[in-house]
Parts: sequence; C-alpha cells; structure tokens
Amino acid sequence: MMKPIHRSSWCLPYVVFMAIFVVLPLILIGFYAFSDGNGHFTLANFTKFFQDKDSLATFALSIEVAIENTAICLLLGYPVAWILTNKKLNKSAVTIILFILPMWVNALMRTLATAELFTMFGITLGKGTLLYGMVYDYLPFMIYPIYNTLQKIDPSYAEAAEDLGATPWRVFWKVTVPLSKPGIMSGIMMVFMPTVSTFAISEFLTNNKIKLFGTIIQEKIYASMWNYGAALAFIMLIIIGITTLLTNNDSDNQVEGGLI
Amino acid sequence: MGIAALAALVSCSTDRSKILKVYNWADYIDEAQIAEFEQWYQEQTGKEVHVVYQTFDINESMLTKIEKGHEDYDVVCPSDYIIERMLRSDLLLPIDRNFGDTPDYTQNVAPYIVEKFKQIEGSGKDANDYAVSYMWGTIGIIYNPKFVSEEDVKTWEVLRDPRFKDKIYMKEAFRDVYTTLLIALNKDAIDAGEKTIEELPFDTSDESIAMVEQFLNDCKPNIAGYEADFGKEYMTQEKGWMNLSWSGDAAWAIGEAKDMGVELRYAIPEEASIVWFDGWVIPKYAKNVDAARYFINFLCRPEMALRNMDEIGYVSAIGGPEILAAKQDSTQFAAEDATYFFGEEAKGVCIDPVQYPSDEIIARCGMLHDTGDRTAALQEMWSRVKGDSANALTYIIIIAAVAAIAAAALISKNRKKSRHKKSGRR
Amino acid sequence: MKKFFAQAYVWLLLLLLYAPLIFIAIFSFTQSKVMGNWAGFTFDVYKNFFTGNFQGSSALYAALLNTLLIAVVSALVATIMGTLAAISFYNLRGRKKNVLMFVNNIPMINPDIITGVSLFLLFVFLGISKGYLTVILAHISFCTPYVVLSVMPRLTQMNPNIYWAAMDLGATPGQALRKVLIPQLFPGMLSGFILAFTMSLDDFAVTFFTQGTIGLETLSTYIYNDARKNGLTLELRPLMTLIFAFVLIVLLVINLRSAKQARNNKK
Repeated sequence: MMKPIHRSSWCLPYVVFMAIFVVLPLILIGFYAFSDGNGHFTLANFTKFFQDKDSLATFALSIEVAIENTAICLLLGYPVAWILTNKKLNKSAVTIILFILPMWVNALMRTLATAELFTMFGITLGKGTLLYGMVYDYLPFMIYPIYNTLQKIDPSYAEAAEDLGATPWRVFWKVTVPLSKPGIMSGIMMVFMPTVSTFAISEFLTNNKIKLFGTIIQEKIYASMWNYGAALAFIMLIIIGITTLLTNNDSDNQVEGGLI
Repeated sequence: MGIAALAALVSCSTDRSKILKVYNWADYIDEAQIAEFEQWYQEQTGKEVHVVYQTFDINESMLTKIEKGHEDYDVVCPSDYIIERMLRSDLLLPIDRNFGDTPDYTQNVAPYIVEKFKQIEGSGKDANDYAVSYMWGTIGIIYNPKFVSEEDVKTWEVLRDPRFKDKIYMKEAFRDVYTTLLIALNKDAIDAGEKTIEELPFDTSDESIAMVEQFLNDCKPNIAGYEADFGKEYMTQEKGWMNLSWSGDAAWAIGEAKDMGVELRYAIPEEASIVWFDGWVIPKYAKNVDAARYFINFLCRPEMALRNMDEIGYVSAIGGPEILAAKQDSTQFAAEDATYFFGEEAKGVCIDPVQYPSDEIIARCGMLHDTGDRTAALQEMWSRVKGDSANALTYIIIIAAVAAIAAAALISKNRKKSRHKKSGRR
Repeated sequence: MKKFFAQAYVWLLLLLLYAPLIFIAIFSFTQSKVMGNWAGFTFDVYKNFFTGNFQGSSALYAALLNTLLIAVVSALVATIMGTLAAISFYNLRGRKKNVLMFVNNIPMINPDIITGVSLFLLFVFLGISKGYLTVILAHISFCTPYVVLSVMPRLTQMNPNIYWAAMDLGATPGQALRKVLIPQLFPGMLSGFILAFTMSLDDFAVTFFTQGTIGLETLSTYIYNDARKNGLTLELRPLMTLIFAFVLIVLLVINLRSAKQARNNKK
C-alpha cells in the first residue's frame, strides 16, 4: 500500500501567489472593463468599442490575419511533423530541434531581421510580409505539439489499417489525422490567439502600415485609457474562453472516440 | 553588481526630492548634459539630484500619460499645440524665474519665439509664463537628389506623383500633415485673400478634412511606411527617396548621410509649411519643481543650446549674438535675411537655410493649434487613410472560417451519435 | 523518391526559417549600416560590441544585465515555489486539484498581452510603483506554471515510500524534502528552471507593461525602443549572432550526448 505524501501546506505560498498575481489581475480586467474612471459601473467602454470604426476594423483584420496565419501554419507544419515522425522518411532526432531552435533567439530580433531581409530584396512591406513574418514566428508552435502527438501514436494502428487493405492516403486521412487531433487543436490554440494579440511585431513587419488588435490594446493602456484598454482585453478573454471550450470539447470527443 | 544597482534604485525611489524625472522627445538632447546638469545643480543649490531621463516619440501619448495617468514627470517637452491644450486643461505650473544668485538664462530665448508663444491660446494665460521654448523648426521634405529633383519638391504635389511609388516615408503626425496640406491645398484662396494662414490651422470642417483625405489617398501608393522616428535613418540608408519630416531631423539626416557618402537635401515646398515650437513645461503632478526649473534654466545657456543644436540638428529657441556668430559660415551657405530671429544684424548673413529659413519662407508658414473636440475627427481621417484595414474579403474569410468550424463540429457530433447507436447494437 | 521530396520540403522550410538569422550573421562581419551593402570583411562590429564603442552602449549593457538578473531571480523563485506546489498538488484529488491546475494553466493559455495588461492593472490598483519588483513578480507569475508542469511527471515516477521511510527513520519533513525528495525531483526541477529562465529571457509584452517609468529596460524592451528609431542597429547584429551560435552549440551538444547515451543504453 502506497501512502501519498500529504503536504498541502507546501502549496500555500503558490496558491496565495496565484490568487494575487493570476486570479485577481483577471478579475481586475473585468472590473476596469465595466467601470468608468471613478469606479462606477458602466457599459460605456464596450459601446465605445462597437462605435469605434477604427478599432472594429482592426479587430476584424486581426481575426482575418490570425485565421490565415493559423491555416498556413497548419498546412505547412503538419507535413513537417508527419515527415519528422515517419521512420521511413526521417531518422534524425535533431531535425525537430532545428525547427524549435530559432525560438531561443529573441522574437523581436528575429522579426526585425525578417523585415530587414525584405527591405534588402526590395519587397514592399505590407500585408504579404506581415503574413510571412507571422508564419515565420509561429510555425514552430504549430509543428511541435503535432509532432508530439504523432510520435505517441502507436504505429500498429496504421499497420493494421494497411493490413486490412487501406491505401496509404486513406490510412493518413482516416487514422493518422484523427489520432493527431489533440496536437492540431493545441497547435491552433498556440497560433491563433497570440496572432490576434501581437503587438510590435505587426508594426515592424509593415513599417507601421498595419496594426493588429494587440497594438490597439497597448496604445490604449499606454495612453492611460485603462478602462477602455481593459474592455478590449476583456473581449480577448472571452474569445480565449470560447476557443478553449471548443478545443476542449473536441479533445473529449477524441478521448472517447478513439479510432473511427 | 546587479544587486547593488537594484538596491541603489530601490533606495533612490524612496527619496523623491533627489530625483528629477525628465520626459523628452527621443534624440532631443546632448545626453552628456544630463550628468553635467546634476553637477551644476549641486554647485548652484548645494542639493543633490539624479536625473531619470525618458523619451517619447508622439506628443499625444506623452499628454495622456500626464493627463490621465497622472505620471509624476517633473519636466516635459511638449509641442506648441499641446502646451495650448495643457494650459486650457490647467495642467501646467507657472515657472518661477527667480533663480537667486544664478543668472536667469531663460531671457536668452529669441524675441520672435516669445512673440509666437503669445499666439498660443491658453484660455487667457500667456504661454510664456508656463513654458520656455527649447527647439523650433519647420516641416518639409527630406529628399535624395539622386532620385528626386529640386524642381519636384517645389510643390507638395510631389507626394502624389506616381513616379515615386513606395518611396516616401510619411511622418506619423496627423496634425502636422493635415495642417500643412490644408494650407497648401488652399493656396489659391489665400492668394485671393479669402483665407489666411493664421485662421486655417483652426479649420477642421468636414469639407476641409475630406479635401486633405482625398489628397492623402492619392499619395497612398507612394507611402512606404509611417514613421515616428526611423525616417531619417532610412533616408541615410537610401531605403526611401523622400521623407516628410521636421527641419531638425533633416539637418541631422543630411549630416549623417554625408558621413556615409549619401547626399540628402531638405526642401520646403513653395505653397506652405508649418513653424512649430517645442517648449519645456512643468506639469502639475511634478514632484521636484525646483530641480525642474533649474533644469530648464540650465538648457537656456547659449553654450548648451549650441551643443544641443550640433548634437540633434534642431534649432534652439535661444537667439542672440553668440548664437548668430557661431552659426555663420560663408564657406557653406549663401547669404539670406534672418532678421525675424536675430534682428537687424542678420540681414544678408550666411547661415544654414535648413535651420534658419529666410524671412520670405517664414512669411508663408502657419502655426499648429489645439483642435479640441475635432481632434478625434482628424485622427479618424488619418486612420482611414492609413488603415490597410478590414475590407469585404476580411469578413468573407471570417465567416467562411466560422462556418467551417461549425460544420466540423456538427459532423463530429453526428458521427459520435451514429457510433453510439452502433455500440448500442453491439 | 518520396523520401527525397520529403527531405527537400523539410530542408526548404528550414532554410526559410534560418535565412534571416544567416543574413544577419553574415552582415555582422561588415561595417555597413545597410544590409545588403557589403563594405569589406571586418571584426570591428564585434570589437565595438565588446568594448562598448558605440552609441548607447551603456544602455544596452544595462539592459543585458537586467535581463539576466530578472531571469535568474524569477526562475529561482519559480523553481522553489513551483516544486513545493507540485508536490502538494500531485497528492490532491478531485475538484480542488482540478481548480488549482486550471488556475496554474491560465498564464500559459493567456496571450502575453493579456497577462501584461492584467498585471499592469493589478499594480495600478494596488498602487505599487513599477520597477524591478513588479517585473520580477510578473515574471514569476508566468514562469512558475512551467516549473509545476515539469516537476509533476517526476512525481509520477517516484515511489513515495522512500519519503515515508525517511520520516519513519526520524527525519523532519524539511530534512526529508532536502535529502530525499529534491534529489529525486532534481531533473524535473532543472528542466523547469531552464524553461522558466528562457521564458523570462524571451519575454517582451509582460515586461513592457510592468517596467514602469524608472528607466528599467530589458533586452527586449531595449530592442523595441531602439528599433522604433533605427531599425535593427549595427550592434544588435553581433549580439544576435552570438546568442544564436551559443544556443545552437548548447542544443546540439546536449542532443548528441543524449543520442549517444541512448545508443549505449541499447547495448
């Protein structure tokens, strides 16, 4: 009989810390979002957002860029993860490290270097370069989780399907892809939300021509419009909540569904 | 060492009377003077002070930090129309110019500028009581003569000339751009005497905004980027051919480019320009007013003014014979009249026209003013022009993505159901 | 044939991924401000970088020092607090555990800017003036979850009876922690520390919102401010090249060693 180590007091510092520095700040976002400068309840910050054409357009554009970025990362990244986990196509364990390694170089520096490269080749900075830079920054975040789940898949599933006469194409779509769904989901999570909320990166990649939603939040906070900034952050939080719920539901399906 | 630095900073922050928080434009001072001021202040007053120096690159962000954030900067360097606005909203403290044994160097500010400061409409207050001008200049175009001719930049029309596609860097300063272009586009009306340069900067009517917006939209294919600060750098690197910029940045860029073997020039198109002024003020949330006013006084010493001019390229508001003597150079510059700034002695002096434009150019320059409630309208126009923002395609993509996700969710739900049925049968 | 295409695809993507870094590295060996203008091979940029012979050198050095200081302090605190928390979380059951683990995951799910804004509002609300303290607290808050998640798997593998044996033999809980638990959990703590350290090093958004106005800069915020003025300045090229080379060497050494170990183990 193994007796667990009961030391609930040991987590006390961290629980208190989390209460102050994780939970309370999130509550404060809500508090500031729903109050005016004097702490009175108001919905004005939200009505302001829905009347502010500039912020709305930026918001829509950010969602568009995020969708495109996520889609491109998935299309480019999935084959990479698949190739790297396929024993027949790749034997080296170092290659995956090579994909993750650039992340250790400061993200702003890498972004600037990319922008610099575009200027060097005389490519006009704009939406195209923005997307390229975003894909460049976020591709590793898509590859890694997919790689991890693909690696854990028992190869006997695919072999079984093949033995039963499935074509490799069919095996890929009916076995590999469904089994790697949790990885895809967390990849999407790790690319989509951060893209909507990036700031600095979009400006550097477009010479300030395009800004994303993160920049708007930063500008408002920087300009001491805390309540409005908090309201914008609150909207982001809601979207995060929805995407988390959606992806969680799907992974439940996955656990339950297993092989289709 | 790091721990020591940390400890020092923590202990410093407790004694606020030993700290002077300076909030200035980026690249806007010879930074060696900060340490010199600390020493000078101790010599003059026997008190110790440590300067915390921070920079901003957009007037408005500085203003909101003070107005809404109540940040305790002691001395700040806003532009004329912001001083106007700060005076109107009662954000400034009057500057006490009695420095005891220390001379009052603020008297050195050129009479021309004192006169211009009187035009600041700060609800009855004289701006000269609350602000000491630091630098001033014009707005114009830095251009690279390799690609752009002197003839081209004689008119603001150059900004929408299709030959310069993707080669112009636009200053991220909607008010300066709006006012300049508004005066330029009204040239005929001004010549006909229907409108005046003094009135136009106050004009923010929808028609005027639409007029400037139309012009800016025509320019858009030429705009390579919007910059608050890096334009001059990009010009010296020949990444851009033209940069709508302030005269001081122009002087700096021309000097810097010369060292790199690139020729740059500055032109004020003939229709119009703006004279602008930046001045030191003490915000009402300042915590070290005494050090702040000494800091302002220190910067008004002609010696410091000259050094700052050399370092940053902008033109000091300090006038007088010492400056005129130092600035004349007959080997480099042609003679012009700069009497508006230096008085009668400056008739036909050889002085840098980028820094001190001639009397006749000054005559067709407007001044920036606070536009009050209409500022938002100007700003909206600016973001409409800038925005490579959402279009129909954006919404199509979003709707398609949402539809795809919903469809995927539905399919997986149905599958789950049918699977349940199957397993039930089993 | 299939293998060829697969390999070609992977290496093409890697090439694109590395192109900017490679170009920066190449142009760190020339004095030209403009990328693409080769002005002759020289080590001068490196020399200037190390001797501080460039504009704003003291600010960059201070930023580097701050970055390291903040990363070390926050990673250390995060490791201690996170390890203790992981031990007691691990033995919790049911709702309590779910809630705590959920809260633990929040900083990892939240985009940086939300964490930054929320902490900004917290410090405004509490009236704490922003500076080293606030930046370090902020970094601890997003670093600790990674430590907790790194230590947890080690606990699964550990036999708790060792701990109870030590207690039975008269060790105090503190002694048992030091002599028994920590050695067992050390690999997890180490990887947690390294993760926390790199998260802190790389952070921009959270630092941006908590740095305050006392002139505290880290490498990220320094680069941000510098780039808004000048693009990627000359001095940052050798810095980036060195960081990149360092990371490359460290990771390759670690991986070659573990690959070797794995082969030895098989034998």
